Amino acid sequence: VDREELHRTIEALREDFSRALALVRDEAGLQALRDRMLGRKSGAVSGLLRSLGQMAEGIRKEAGQELNALKASMDGSLEGALGEILGRLRAERLGREAVDLTLPGRLPPVGRRHPISAVREELEAIFLSMGYEIYEGTEVEDDFHCFEALNMPPDHPARDMQDTFYLKGRPGLLLRTHTSSQQIRYLLSNPHPPEVRIVCPGKVFRRDNDITHSPMFQQVEMLVVGEGITLGDLKGTIEAFLHRLFGPSYPVRFRPSYFPYTEPSVEADLGCIVCGGKGCRVCKGTGWLEIMGSGMVNPAVFEAVNSRLGKTVYDPEVVTGFAFGLGFDRVAMVRHGIDDIRLLYENDLRFLEQFRG
Amino acid sequence: MKVPLGWLREFVDVKASPRELADALTLSGLAVDGILEVGGETVLDLDVTTNRVDAMNVYGVAREVAVLYGLPLKPPETTVSEAGKPAKEALSVEILAPELCPRFCARVLDVRIGPSPVWIRERLELVGVRPISNVVDLTNYVLFELGQPSHAFDLARVKGGRLSVRWGREREALKTLDGADRVLNPRVGVVAGLEGALGLAGIMGGAASEVSDGTTEIALEAAHWNALAVRRAAKSFGMHTEASHRFERGSDPELPPLALARLAHLLEKIGAGTCRPGLVDVGAAPARRKVRLRGARIDAVLGAAVPPQKVRGILEGLGFSPEGDSYSVPGFRGDVAREEDLIEEVARHFGLDKIPSSLPPTRQTGTTSPLLRAEQDLRALLVGFGLSEVVTLSFVSEGDGRLAGESPVVLENPLSEEQAALRNSIVLPGLLSVLRTNLRQGRRDLGIFEVGRVYQAKGEGPWPTEVRRLGVLLTGALPSHWSQKGRPFDLFDLKGFLEAIPMRLEVRSFESSSAALPSFLQPGRGALLVRGGATLGYLGALQPEMAGRFEARGDVLVAEISIEGLFEGRPPAVRVEPLPRFPIVQRDISAIVPLTLPSLRVVEAALRGAGPLARDARITSRFDGPPAVPAGHVSLTVTLRLEHRERTLTNDEVQAAVQSAVQSLKGLGAEIRGE
Repeated sequence: VDREELHRTIEALREDFSRALALVRDEAGLQALRDRMLGRKSGAVSGLLRSLGQMAEGIRKEAGQELNALKASMDGSLEGALGEILGRLRAERLGREAVDLTLPGRLPPVGRRHPISAVREELEAIFLSMGYEIYEGTEVEDDFHCFEALNMPPDHPARDMQDTFYLKGRPGLLLRTHTSSQQIRYLLSNPHPPEVRIVCPGKVFRRDNDITHSPMFQQVEMLVVGEGITLGDLKGTIEAFLHRLFGPSYPVRFRPSYFPYTEPSVEADLGCIVCGGKGCRVCKGTGWLEIMGSGMVNPAVFEAVNSRLGKTVYDPEVVTGFAFGLGFDRVAMVRHGIDDIRLLYENDLRFLEQFRG
Repeated sequence: MKVPLGWLREFVDVKASPRELADALTLSGLAVDGILEVGGETVLDLDVTTNRVDAMNVYGVAREVAVLYGLPLKPPETTVSEAGKPAKEALSVEILAPELCPRFCARVLDVRIGPSPVWIRERLELVGVRPISNVVDLTNYVLFELGQPSHAFDLARVKGGRLSVRWGREREALKTLDGADRVLNPRVGVVAGLEGALGLAGIMGGAASEVSDGTTEIALEAAHWNALAVRRAAKSFGMHTEASHRFERGSDPELPPLALARLAHLLEKIGAGTCRPGLVDVGAAPARRKVRLRGARIDAVLGAAVPPQKVRGILEGLGFSPEGDSYSVPGFRGDVAREEDLIEEVARHFGLDKIPSSLPPTRQTGTTSPLLRAEQDLRALLVGFGLSEVVTLSFVSEGDGRLAGESPVVLENPLSEEQAALRNSIVLPGLLSVLRTNLRQGRRDLGIFEVGRVYQAKGEGPWPTEVRRLGVLLTGALPSHWSQKGRPFDLFDLKGFLEAIPMRLEVRSFESSSAALPSFLQPGRGALLVRGGATLGYLGALQPEMAGRFEARGDVLVAEISIEGLFEGRPPAVRVEPLPRFPIVQRDISAIVPLTLPSLRVVEAALRGAGPLARDARITSRFDGPPAVPAGHVSLTVTLRLEHRERTLTNDEVQAAVQSAVQSLKGLGAEIRGE
């Protein structure tokens, strides 16, 4: 082998390698090319290196250097190509794992509180934080607790058969028409008379059924009794409560009203939360929502309770009190734009599932 | 109550704009619901509370306006130039029932019946009354102006000119002005002539003595009737008139003479007739009530000091007269009976907005009842499980009230047959009705619950018992996803929800028992929930016939639990167990057992057999069907976990425990797979 022939051979191998490398697409092809060039047994370059010993003394050293350089360059190219191939394969594999995240996720079952419960729990939390006792009485009531003790003697308009549900075969028993009956229950069983500071949420019942009246609806009653309780306290408490419930940005106003069991009686209005006071369908153009009835406890109520207790526990000359009642279905209705109260009790899930809660 | 401003201004010269006036009235207790413009006149629409009968007329509203704006209140014109023979020669009145009628006044008038002048007709139309003829129109005019209902009798049709006031007679007949034939009784007051009842006292006149076109001589009645008597009578006939509305709420006993004078004056003014001399006035107005008012009490109730001059100014303006430390109450304020009533009068004209807001002092912290807390926690838990809360009406039909097997509490006066009784179950029919509502909307999958009271017929004396219950209903499947269809709900979903309750809440654990299921559950597919000897409730699949009644086809899974029972007795506080320090060994045993053998027995047998090293055992796999498992049998895999608290278990110990568990299972008749 002369020098010229050696160089031709090396060049041919180099070209052969380059051409083959350009065609390699995967690891197996790369391995095959490595075997063909550098394989221990059948590799062309390895074969030439093995035959160095039979070469003429004069070119042996030079040939050795050039062949080793060729081997090193091939190794390098193979290594680089391998990296490229692996990188490409990895990218392809990861590409195949890509997902369409515009598809909806797998929801856990999502349940919801009924909007009435949501409001009720909110009310209870507010009053708990204001230091009130939450008190529940019975839904079935008698005449004394529901009317008589509340200064509604027989034949009072509020006791009309068309308003009150009576129980059959149980004379004098009825479904409470308001949570005010709980005032009497608590006053009679008060563990620390004469002080009272309670709220009573619950269901009430009236013989009425239309878009704004359900025969069953929800009220919360509150009662504060003690020495030195004033109409100013009533105002401050209602303002604090309504600001907690609706936010401090809505004004509250008070206007005289009438309830047999309070005197003076006061209606509390809230600046319309729908239109912000400009006037809309919900507030009937007035800018105000009638939100709750309230008043100073009528001394007649204390007298009726004292009379039932057989002693003067609540001396109207010593203790005063205030009470209010709020229909909280209406809170849910105003807040969520519900214009038919019956929707609240039909339990159509297309309705209920619109709420968070 | 409609108040035309032109009419109002006859009595008080108020310059405020309608809007200002409406706001001022609303904030002082006469709520103005609307301001209407009708044919160039402004009309305030007032919603007057039932106690304020004094403000159910134009003059009464004018009195309020006069006080609000510090203006003089002009009395109505009542001058009359009487003519002819004295009235008492043509009319005599006798009160036979003073408890029904404390005072009866009348005047006799010579009239020419015809249409009223335009101004009267227009005003009547503004307040919502149809004009008829001058005499009838004037009675309505004075009713809306002064609040005194009155009635005109055609004197030619009152035999002998004699009227009496008495209670009705049993089965006495009267045709009222509305054309209805009424059958009277002794609980109904009447104005009567010699030949029988001529009108229903305080409610409506009768047809027999009605004023007609040919009438020339009338007796005008203005009386003060007992409120309760009018109310009971009107209610018994289902009648409600402008007159009864006012009399029921308490009329002014001092008003009749003034109202009659006003009527006579107006009759003359419009040229419709003249008035005979004299007022027939039988009975008397009771003495005015005196109510004490202390300045200190005003401060104590209102929490604001109102200057004494201000107090006096307000009350005098409203018609009260000071007498020593008291005020005498005018007849038109029958609603004012005690000191607080006077304080309210002061407060509403002083201005509620001038009373400073404060918060009452407190000596207590906020508290709630354990059961209320329990209900709230239960709701939160079940909502977290993906169930939606519903709230159903407490009313059910009597038939539906018996579905749960007990007689319901029944209403005396239900709104409808569908709402004639009170529920005694949450599930039946409440949750099933919700199911039907939603099935009709095309909804197939449903997981709902309700927390609320049911009413049991038996209780203390006549009282029903109110008990708190949780009801749950599942049907259809869990939510589907594009990746997989939702799995159908089965009984073990329902059971799992219930079993999770003691893991999350302060509830002692409870067990299932297959004894004596309620009849509305499918046999073999339900269980009672029991603790100790007490039954807390049930769970199971509804009988298909029962489900069918509510239009459901597939499985309907229901549970109902007593909340009082569930939360009865608190579980002991959690004391943590030390974490295991040595490895726990787990071994599976697969046993083929008869289908009739409850899996609980298999688990118990494995535990018992494995002895003191057993930490726990549970079923981790279950399958049946040939060829692997013979018919009537099931293969259960029990996974047994073994541990020693002080050291690592040896192979021999594990082997021995497993062998012994296997023997115990064989004792139940089990065949062990892989043996």
